[in-house]
Formats: sequence, C-alpha cells, structure tokens
Amino acid sequence: MLLHYCDLAWRNIRQTPFISVLMIIAIGIGIGVTMTTLSVYHMKSADPIPNKSAQLHALQLQIMDDGQTWRTPDNLPQQVTYKDAMYLLENSPLEKKVAMFKSGAAIHLDKPDSVPFIKDVRVTSRDFFDMFDMSFLYGNVWSEAQSEQAAPVVVISEVLSQKLFGRKNALGESVYLGDRRYEVVGITKKWRPAVKFYDVNNSAFDPAEEVFIPLSHAKAYQVSSWGNTNGWKNEEINSREQFLNSETVWLQFWVELNSASEKAQYGQFLLDYMREQQELGRFNRKELAYNLQPVTQWLKYNHVVSADNKILVGLSFMFLAVCIANILGMLLAKFLKRAPDAGVRRALGASKRQIFYQHLVEVAILGLLGSVVGVVLAQLGLAGIRESKSGYELIATMDWQMLLISPLISILACLIAGLFPAWVVCKTSPATHLKIQ
Amino acid sequence: MSEIKPILSALTRSKTGAILLVMQIAITLALVSNAMSIVADRAEKINQTTGYDEQGIISYTLLTYDKDTDIPKQFKEDIRQLKALDGVIDVLAVSSIPLSRSGGSRTLSTDPEEHSGKNADSGYIRANHHIISTLGLTINEGRDFTQSDVIYGRNGDYPSVGIVSRAVADKLFGQGNGLNETVYNGDDAFKIIGIIDTLKSQWPRSNMGNSLIFLPIEEAQTYQKFIVKTTPQKRAQVMKQIEPLLLDLDRGRVVMNIKGLDKSKADTYAGDTLMIRMLIAIVVFLVIITALGIFGLTHFNISKRTKQIGTRRALGARKSAIFKYFLLENLMVTALGVVIGGVGALVLGRELMGHYSVPPLETSAILITAGMMLLMSFIAVYSPARRAANISPSVATRSI
Amino acid sequence: MLQMQDIGKLYQTEMVQTQALREFNLTVNEGEFIAVTGPSGSGKTTFLNIAGLLEPFSSGQYMLDGVDVGKLNDNQRSDLRNQKIGFIFQGFNLIPDLNLFENIEVPLRYRGIKTAQRKRRIEQCLEQVGLAGRARHLPQQLSGGQQQRVAIARALAGEPRFLLADEPTGNLDSLMAKQVMTLLEELNRAGTTIVMVTHDQELARRTPRNIQIVDGQVADFTLYQGVQGTRENTQTPLGV
Repeated sequence: MLLHYCDLAWRNIRQTPFISVLMIIAIGIGIGVTMTTLSVYHMKSADPIPNKSAQLHALQLQIMDDGQTWRTPDNLPQQVTYKDAMYLLENSPLEKKVAMFKSGAAIHLDKPDSVPFIKDVRVTSRDFFDMFDMSFLYGNVWSEAQSEQAAPVVVISEVLSQKLFGRKNALGESVYLGDRRYEVVGITKKWRPAVKFYDVNNSAFDPAEEVFIPLSHAKAYQVSSWGNTNGWKNEEINSREQFLNSETVWLQFWVELNSASEKAQYGQFLLDYMREQQELGRFNRKELAYNLQPVTQWLKYNHVVSADNKILVGLSFMFLAVCIANILGMLLAKFLKRAPDAGVRRALGASKRQIFYQHLVEVAILGLLGSVVGVVLAQLGLAGIRESKSGYELIATMDWQMLLISPLISILACLIAGLFPAWVVCKTSPATHLKIQ
Repeated sequence: MSEIKPILSALTRSKTGAILLVMQIAITLALVSNAMSIVADRAEKINQTTGYDEQGIISYTLLTYDKDTDIPKQFKEDIRQLKALDGVIDVLAVSSIPLSRSGGSRTLSTDPEEHSGKNADSGYIRANHHIISTLGLTINEGRDFTQSDVIYGRNGDYPSVGIVSRAVADKLFGQGNGLNETVYNGDDAFKIIGIIDTLKSQWPRSNMGNSLIFLPIEEAQTYQKFIVKTTPQKRAQVMKQIEPLLLDLDRGRVVMNIKGLDKSKADTYAGDTLMIRMLIAIVVFLVIITALGIFGLTHFNISKRTKQIGTRRALGARKSAIFKYFLLENLMVTALGVVIGGVGALVLGRELMGHYSVPPLETSAILITAGMMLLMSFIAVYSPARRAANISPSVATRSI
Repeated sequence: MLQMQDIGKLYQTEMVQTQALREFNLTVNEGEFIAVTGPSGSGKTTFLNIAGLLEPFSSGQYMLDGVDVGKLNDNQRSDLRNQKIGFIFQGFNLIPDLNLFENIEVPLRYRGIKTAQRKRRIEQCLEQVGLAGRARHLPQQLSGGQQQRVAIARALAGEPRFLLADEPTGNLDSLMAKQVMTLLEELNRAGTTIVMVTHDQELARRTPRNIQIVDGQVADFTLYQGVQGTRENTQTPLGV
C-alpha cells in the first residue's frame, strides 16, 4: 500500500511541477538556514569525548582572597597557579591527572633549507594522551624519568611528521623548537576535536596542538605560556622564579574521577590542601571553594556555545515556521484543486483514512526532496562561515548526525504543514465533487 | 474604501489562507525587526572610531629563538633598515597591538590600597615616546611623552608618567578630571600627563573597550611585537618587504602575524561581521519566502475566484475596482499581520534581551520593518491583482 | 432597446479559427420578452456575451438603448452593464463568501449608491423574490431555487431596463423552474425587457417571441400564446 501511495504521490508531484518545485525550494531554504545554524550549534555543543566526558573533570580552585571577583558566575578562575598545579600533580591520590598550558615555538630542523615556522605547543604532564584518548601511531609518551630530568623530548602528530620529514614515522629524529634540539619519542594519530575542550580559554576553536613537550620544561627551560595569564593580586614579578611562585593563574588542570565517592574524596583532599595553604597565608577567605566540572558542563560554563549561536538557532526555527505556513498554504491550494480526484477515489471505496495517508505520503516525499535542497544550501552556508575566518574553520561542518537529522526535520516540518490540508481533502464528501455542474 | 466591509466579511468566511498569511507576516516582522536591530547594533560597534590611523599601520611579531642574538642591538638595526624603506614613517616595539584582543590589562586605582580607592580595569601598552604619533592619536589634554620619560627594559623600574584614555581618567577621577593626578598599580604609580578622548583598547568589544593606558617603557624581548607606520599608499608594498628584510638581517627568528591594523580590527570583529551576514541572509531569505507566500496565495485566491471576478465584472465592476479589491484585501491581511507581528517583535525583543546581551528593540525598527513589509506585500500582490483585473467578464456565463 | 446589425464574432486560437456569430441581426424592442434557443455550439452563449457587453465583437454594429456599444471602452462598458443590464446566470454565480444582502449589494456598490438607500433597495428586492428575512444567510444555506431568486433579486436591484437570463432554470427542478419563470413574467409585465437564453423548448414556448440561433445566425419564429408581441423587425428564417 505504501508503495502504491508513493507512486500516486510521485505522479501528483509531477502533475503540478511548478507548485511542487516551489514547495521544495521553500522547505529547502528553511532546512538550509536551520541546518546551517544548527550544525554550528551542534558542533559546539556536542560532547567532544563521549566515552569519557563524564569522568574527565576540569579543576578550579578559589585562589582569590575574599572580596575579589572573577568573570565566571561563581567567581572561580578557570585556570590554576603553577605551584598549585605542581602540588596537585605530585601529591594527588588520583591515578590520572594532568596540568598543562599552551605555548608556541619556531619549529625547524636546523638545516639551511628548513624554514622555521611557528606552531602552537602544548606543555603538559604525561597523562594528557591517555586521559584525552589520543593514540600513538609510533612510539609513546615520554617516560616518568625523562619528565623529571626535563629531557628534551617531544611528541608530534603524524601530520607534522609528514610535513617535517616526509614520512609518518620520525621516531628518534631531531626537531628544533627555537634553538633547542628535541628528540621525537612519539607520533600521535590525527586528532581533531571540533572544540579544544581541554583548554577553552585560549582560542577554543583553534585546531588541537601537534607538538607536545613535558611540563617540567616550564621551569627548566623557562618555556612561557602563550595563553591567558591572569593575575588578581599585586605582586612583585621580576623573574621567572617569582612568576612561577606567584598567584597568577595560567595552567589548565584536569582529573579523571570514576565515581561519586572518588569525587567526594578528591574534594576533601582539595579542601585539606587549601586549609594547609591557609597556614602559609594563601587562600585568604572565610569559605574555601573548588569546582570539579565534567566536560559538557565545563563547555557550558565557559559559554563555548555563544549567545549569537543560540539566537541564530532560535531565529532559524522561526524561519522554518514561516516556511511551514508557506507550504501549508500551497498544499491547501494544491490539494483543494485535486479534491475532485479524491472525491472519485472516495466514491470508488477509498476510506477517509486512506485518502489522508495518501496525501501525507505525498507531503513526506516533498519533505525528503526539500531536505536534499536544504543540505546543499546548508553546505554552502557552512562553507561561507568557514570562509569568514572567525574561528569557525573546524566548527562549521555537518557531521553525519546532522546529515541524518536534516531529512527528519524536513519531513516533520512538511507533515506539520500537510496535516490540515490532508484533513480538509479527506473530509470532503465524495458527492460534492461528483456532481456535474 | 467602501469595499472594506464586504472584504472583511469575505475574509472571515474563508479564513485559512488569510490566517496563514497573517502568521507569516507577523513572524517575519517580529524576526526581521529584531534581526535588523541586532545588525544595526553590531554595525555601529564595528564602525566606532578607534582613534587610530588604521590604514597606515602594520603590526608584526618577532620571535627570536637564536640565543646568540643581541636582541636590543638587532632591533635597533631592524628599525633603522625598515625606516629606510620607501613609505615607512616610523617603527617601534610595543608590548601589544591595539584592537588585537591580545595583550595585558591591569586594575588601576586612585589609592595604593586597591580596595580603598576608585578602581578601573584597563589595557596597557608599553612602548617608547613615539607611540602616540605613530598610532596617529591626538592628545586632547596635557602633553605627549618625551624621550626623557622613557625607561628601557623591564628590570623592575616603573615609569613616572603615563598617558591614559578619557574613559580611564573619568572612571578614576570623575568626569573631565585626571590630568596630573597619580594612578596606582599596586606599589607602582605614575602621573597622568596626557589624556586621549577617542581611544580603543586591545579588546574593543569588552567592557574595557575604551580603557587603555600608555607607559613609556621600551622593550626588547625574544617574543616582541612591533608597529610600522607607513603612508597609506605604500602600506601594501611595505607589508611584503618586512619579512624578507628582517630574515635577511638575522636568520635566527620567525616573523609572524604581519597585518594591517584595519585587518586586526576586522579579525576582532569577525564574529560580529559573521553575525551580521547570517542575520542578513536569514532576513533576505525570509522576505523572499514571505513574498512568495503572498504571491502564491493571492494567485491561488484569484484562480479560485475566477468565476466570482467574472460575475463582479458582469455586474458592472470596472477593472480598477477588481484591482483595488485585491490590493485592499491584501492590505488588510498585511496590516493585521503587521499589528500582531509588532506585538510579537516586542515580545521577542524582550525575550532576547532577557537571555542575551542584545540592545533594546527600538520602536522605529519595528515601524521601519512594518513599512517595508507593507511595501513588499504590495509588490507581491501587484501582478496577481493585475491579472485578476484582466479576467474577462464573459467567464460569468461559462459553465464549468 | 437592442439593435444588432451584421454582428460577427471570430474566436481565434493558435490552432483554429471559429466563427461563432456571422452577419447576426436582431432587434429587441422595449418591453419584449424573448427566448433565444438553439442547439449547443450554435452561438447562444456568444450572443449572450455580446448582448450583455461581456465580450467585444469582431464586426458589425450594436446599439443598446441608443448607445453605440462598439465605441465604448472597457470602463464605459462596465458602467453600462451596471446601469442598464441585469444578469441572471445559469449557475446563479452568487459569491459564496458573501451573504444574501452583500451579494445583492455588489452591483449597487459599483454604482456608488449611498448606504441607507442601498439597504432600502436590497430589502425591497429580497421581499420581491420572497426571501425577506434571510438577508444574513450564506448562499450555500439555500436551495437552488432560492439561490436563483437571490440572483434575480441581485439582477433587479439596479432597476435595469434590460434583463439577460442565461438558462435561468437550467439547474432547477420543474417546480422551482416554474416559480422562477413566473417571476420573470411578472417583471416583464412591469416593463423590463427580457432576453432569455435557454435550450428548454417548453420554457421557450411560454415567451411571446422566440429566436433560434443556428450556426451563428438568427432563425426567428414566434409562437403565439395569447400574449401580446411584436413581429416587426424580425428576420427571415434561413431554412431550418
């Protein structure tokens, strides 16, 4: 029966090509606009690491004295100080934790024909790769010992390896970060999270770094941060030593917590630490505060999906409503014109329900065709957004989820538009249209 | 106008089409007026004057990784060579580039104890005494830096003078005050020797958009930013020459982010530009769809009423009467849509303002959009109404 | 009242030319009641359209109440229809979205008659056709006969000198048809000139003068039914 309806529907669509094409264009534009904004919204709000997002927690400590404010709703700075990060790294009861920051360097091979280029560098402790599910193509992360000795070792991506050495396996090769020679100990597989969720405060939509060096280099080689560095206190900072010991926040700290009890225990550990530090004159406040937020909550907290994204999605759905009203009008016109045909079918024994379904099938097919137009338009829209160079290069794409959802939204929109016209047609009595005037 | 009553009764008896149109027009009006209000607000932000000679300035960043380089000496040579280029007026090292969203900020106070004085957050730029003229700024009150104000390097010394934007001076010392007052930044302090009225910080979109101070400190770091002032005509040419020239002088470094100040500004506002484009695209498509809707529905109405139109003509209606009938009918539907849409626009505007930082919706935005909707609706209905007027009265006698 | 001289009407489509009327001559005098009959395709409807100024003609001369119709522009023809001609259509052609009152009001509005006067006239017409008190009903709430009576009321509202009826009983059963016919006869007695196009011979026989159109030309013969009629100005039949 469905096949029969489809056949009838297809004939009807072809019988009125002008109005059918008009409807397909109308729904296509609606879907195109909606899917463009929705894809951006989706890419920004989608869970970047679904299988671990509940375990990974961003750590915040309320380091500021009473009376100081921050731009977050709970007044907690998003980053931590170097001394807190080092303590929590070394003394934590947890198995997996990572402290890190963004830096950068001139990368070259110290050969006359190797032109140095600038790359972002992630300076991080060892657990980064394991915690954020990065896998190695060759080699592995540097060892504990290498980390402690601040050995000049580096992990690079397969893409960078290809670029520097013309092959993916560059284990053991030397690469220069500035004037320091590093030995490649690991090659990571391509990794392109749409949102740099592990460090949303330093260009959240930049591509993930492709160069990784041990956190110990921050002190040993004075590798400095290329990210946000925020002070809240007037401190004398004239040397690297003073800077590392300051109350300035500039590192990201993440922990992996596998259960609520583990989270509670860790919270207690943090409070104990802060109390200890209060003895030393830090954490000058009545109430100690910390925050451990899992990935998706962390992205919300940091407004990764901007107000503009939300406004655009809202407006697009209003736009879609206008398209639905539009199509409703056209369907009504089209179906009423064909009402005599339905009357004949009714006279020949078709039930109201059958007439109703037949028309809905036709509407659904229009929706399906419209979604094709819509997806093409959305691709154009997204390409336009990528071109705009406003940090949406990785975000403005349509993943398979959005691709699948497009026809669903389109068909649903068309069905909403088609319900009333189909009902009008099927309720007209067979007799009205059989009379010859 | 005598036709209003019968049109109204005809409309109330076959409402579906009219309701659909009213809905479309109402949503379109609500959406378009709010979208255009946001567009106007963003456009105004983008077009705010910054005070800088945006067309004449190039900025670049130099990362010197060769530890053997004597950086201050090398920079002197760089600047000397750059200045020799045709079109270059001045070159100097700066701690950050205006409008670039990157740089340092401080909390300034009228008192050494921050919490007992008035405070103001402000961006700061450290550079030598050329900075004001190089950026193309005008000091409205007080004086410019002189060479004797400048201190060299960052070894704990702090300059005794600074030039601030009017926003900073006003926030700290009240409207119109501030010259010769002392500003504290923790233990450091400087005297305001100059005030600039129109000035944007490194973060023009933030709440310290107008807050910027200049401190006369000349630096030479491994990671150092520079600005080059050129004649606007020669800027593109100079921009191409910078990297090769600098690398020729010393290979142990990388030149990054060579761009015009206008480009920095455009990058900073890229999000707003994108928002404007998206909203305009939505508005344009929406207006097209709504116009198509009006056109299609009128078309349908006319084909449904062909017989009726013929009868009216037979009963003595002139062509112009038929034409006016459809125009008037459409005007009434559009007017209703516009009224409902106007209310909807206010509601939507309030909702948006409640949730996001968008400007309040001006009544004029609604009125202008409403006017545009009426015009668009007139254009959409014109040709179908013309066609209706041309229906021959003889269709009245035609049997179906 | 109505004078047609050598009227020709040529319909032209891309494929074919059809001569709907040729050398068509007819004179109708003031106060006459004429039935026009003829087989389908003979040109009845074309005659009706031209007589009612609904269509222009290709050649010849048509005088309506002393006005040379051929020289009028579209607006003048509209005004002439509005002032002098009343139409009764086969399909009634009531406007479905308007109630009876508003339907009858249509020609009066086009004439620019004042509201109060309009109201009086409409009520009068409704009474005349026996539908007083149903002014607020919509056409679809009435029977076919009632609808046609409304259509007649609408035709009468403007007090036309000349009534054109196109198969006025075509969609009605015989009882209703008789009622409508009686109404027309009354109107005629009151002085209205009526031209009725019909294919119903029995109906035609009730009128004093019958015209038959065959192949776009007039074949005139009159049946006497004891009603006064005029025979002058009639044309010679062309071999029926």
